[in-house]
Amino acid sequence: MEAQSAALIGAGLAVLSGIGAGVGIGIATGKTSEAIARQPEASGKISGSFLLGIALAEATAIYGLVVALFLLFR
Amino acid sequence: MNVSERVIEGISIDTVFTIHVAGLDIPISDTVIASWIVMALLVLLAHRATRRLSTVPGRAQALAEALVSFARSFVEENTQGRGRAFAPFLGTLFLFIVAANLLPSLSPRGGFGFEPYFTIKPLTRDINVTAALAVAVIGVSIGARLRRSGLKGFLRSLIHPMPFMLPFNLMEYAIRPASLALRLFGNMLGGFIIMILAETVLPLVLPPVLGLYFDLFDGLLQAVVFAYLSTIFIAEALE
Repeated sequence: MEAQSAALIGAGLAVLSGIGAGVGIGIATGKTSEAIARQPEASGKISGSFLLGIALAEATAIYGLVVALFLLFR
Repeated sequence: MNVSERVIEGISIDTVFTIHVAGLDIPISDTVIASWIVMALLVLLAHRATRRLSTVPGRAQALAEALVSFARSFVEENTQGRGRAFAPFLGTLFLFIVAANLLPSLSPRGGFGFEPYFTIKPLTRDINVTAALAVAVIGVSIGARLRRSGLKGFLRSLIHPMPFMLPFNLMEYAIRPASLALRLFGNMLGGFIIMILAETVLPLVLPPVLGLYFDLFDGLLQAVVFAYLSTIFIAEALE
């Protein structure tokens, strides 16, 4: 296989890391909605830790994206 | 010009001119110039807003006061009142990233055979910009720990629960700036590439709608996340 086509396949595989981030952000959002529904008065604190959580969950997808970009534009 | 050429042209970083100082060639890229523009804009606005301070604030002064008091209360809340001295740094970081992410929205756009004389591309698409910000944050958090607990306390924090945790604690000082820098860089670059694709595929309807998310909302959200994580790193150093 040529190196260029191998790099293209690798870039596609690297972007699969988005699956985990999607699941993680989905769980975080669902739990946040539940928590706010239970205690609406604590919504400020809850959404603060929600933002932090999705930032950390999203990081894996971003690493995948960066790896894919490095493979595409070597 | 096909799609991949457009994307490559969009994400490439051009050297605008080179400064020759003492036998060194310092290339000045377009992202450096864009960050100078952002800095000039922020300094100018801050100067205008605080030029004639009065007890009954005008519009600009009221906005500046709201921003400053928000930064102060946010940082104090998250550091249990210990990190008041870091509020100006974190507030500046936030304002810089917000301005850097929103500035490209003012750029003229080409299309339909029209080529603008200049375009402003997002400066956070350059990993050097975001890496510099992340290194600054980690440097400040190390300095905060040194000031809070001294050199002895800093060394003790490296072997915090057990001595065998030393390599993991050291790794944290490399992983944290890397993840801060890569998060901002990857988000803004990814959004920028998607915007280029949208402008190529359907230049009439799609870009303004997608731009609301990728240029405005994502730019603001990433600035919030960056400032929030920096606050938490500094708060942890102050414990």
